[in-house]
Amino acid sequence: MTSTASETPMTRAGEYVLGTLAGAECEAFRAALATDPVLQAEVREWERRLAPLAGAIAPESPSPAVWRAIESRLAAGAAAQAAEAVTAGEKTSAAVIRLRRSVVLWRGVATVAGALAAALILFVALGGRWPALEQGQEFVAVVNRGGDLPALIVRVDTQGGVVTIRALGAEAPQGKSLELWYIGAGKAPKSLGVVENASGPIVIPAVLRQAGVEGGTIAVTEEPKGGSPTGGPTGPIVYSGKLIEVQR
Amino acid sequence: MLIEREDLSVLMVAVAKGDRLAFKHLYDRTSARLLGIVRRIVRDRPLAEEVLQEVYLRIWERAGTYRTEAGTALSWMISIARHRAIDVLRQRKEIVLAPLEDGEDWLERVAGPGDGETDLEDRDRLRHCLQRLEEPQRSCILLAYCDGYSRDELATRYEAPVNTIKTWLHRGLAVLRSCLEAP
Repeated sequence: MTSTASETPMTRAGEYVLGTLAGAECEAFRAALATDPVLQAEVREWERRLAPLAGAIAPESPSPAVWRAIESRLAAGAAAQAAEAVTAGEKTSAAVIRLRRSVVLWRGVATVAGALAAALILFVALGGRWPALEQGQEFVAVVNRGGDLPALIVRVDTQGGVVTIRALGAEAPQGKSLELWYIGAGKAPKSLGVVENASGPIVIPAVLRQAGVEGGTIAVTEEPKGGSPTGGPTGPIVYSGKLIEVQR
Repeated sequence: MLIEREDLSVLMVAVAKGDRLAFKHLYDRTSARLLGIVRRIVRDRPLAEEVLQEVYLRIWERAGTYRTEAGTALSWMISIARHRAIDVLRQRKEIVLAPLEDGEDWLERVAGPGDGETDLEDRDRLRHCLQRLEEPQRSCILLAYCDGYSRDELATRYEAPVNTIKTWLHRGLAVLRSCLEAP
C-alpha cells in the first residue's frame, strides 16, 4: 500500500486504533509504536477519544466456562512458577491477613463521635442503594486510602459466613490496631474485629447475613492496641470502601 | 450496575501485583462489556468467548504496564480486546457484510444512558463531532471501530477503490480530531 498525502502520524495512529491498518502495514506501525513516544501519545489519545463508542455496545454476559478456563490457565502458570516463588519468599504485600473474631462484637448501638459519624453516613448516602443480601452471595469491597493506592480487599462470603481480608501493604501504626467495621445504611458502625496476622477467619455477625440489609460500607479505623475500648470507632478512618456484589 | 472508574484502576494496580481475587473482581465487573465488544467484531459467540479468554490472560500479564495517565482502566482493556478481536477476524480472511447499521443509529446509542464508565462530557463531544462528519466518512469510521471492518471490506461495501476508502478514513479522522480538540 502506497502512502498518501493525507497520511500523518495522527491518521496512522487513528487507523491503528480503528483496526484498519492491515498486514505488513500494521506490523510496521506496531514496531514503530514500541519506540516512538509521539505515536504512543497519538494512540492513547484516539483510544480515549473513541472509547465512548465501545461503551455504547450492548454488553453480553460470558458463560461461566470462560472464567473457569481462565482460572485453570492461571493455575497452570502459577504451578510453573511455584518453585521460584518458594525460594523468593512470599510477598508480604500479597499475604492474606485473617481477622481474629473480636471478643466483644456487640456492645449495643454505639454513640460515635460527631465528625466521624457524619463522614460515614455521608459516604453511605453517596453510595446509594445496593441489593439486599441473599443466601450464598459474595461481596467484595476494595478498601482504599483516599482513593489512591489499594490497601485492603475485603471478601464477605455470606454462605460460608466468613470474612477474609487480603492486605496490599496495609500496616498498623506502631502501638495501634486496625479495626474493621461494617456500616449499614444509616446505621452505627459494627465492629467485625481487629485485623491481625496468623489467626482464623472471622465469622460473619448476623447483621451481615440478614436478608434486607441494604448495602454497606466497610471501613477500617486506627484504634488503641487490641481494638476500640468503646465498641464504636474512636480513631481516624484509615480506609473505607463499599461492598460490591460478585456475580458467580 | 454502574462501573466506577476509580475502583477499576485500584483493581488494576492489585492485579499488577498478582492478586487473583482482584482479577476475579475485575473480570466480574468488565467481562460482559468486553464480550459485547468482541462479539460484535468476531460475530460468532463461541469464538468471541475464546477471544475473551485470551484477552483476560493478556490483561493479567500486562496489568503492570497500565498507567492511569494513559486513560481509564476500562479504555485500556477495551483496546486490548478490540485489537485481539480484530486480529482474529483478519486471520479468518472472510469478507463480512453484516446488515448495514445506519450511522445515525449509532449516534443515538452514543447519546443513550451510557455505561456509567464513560465521562459524559467526552461522550457528548464525540457524538457532536461525529455528527459533523460527512457520509460515508462517518460510517467508515463507525464500521471500522465497532464492527472491525477492514479497508477491503469497506471498499466492497461502498463499491469504492481501497485507496478512496483510505482517503475517506484519513479525512474523517482529521476532521474528527480537530473538532474533538476544538476549545
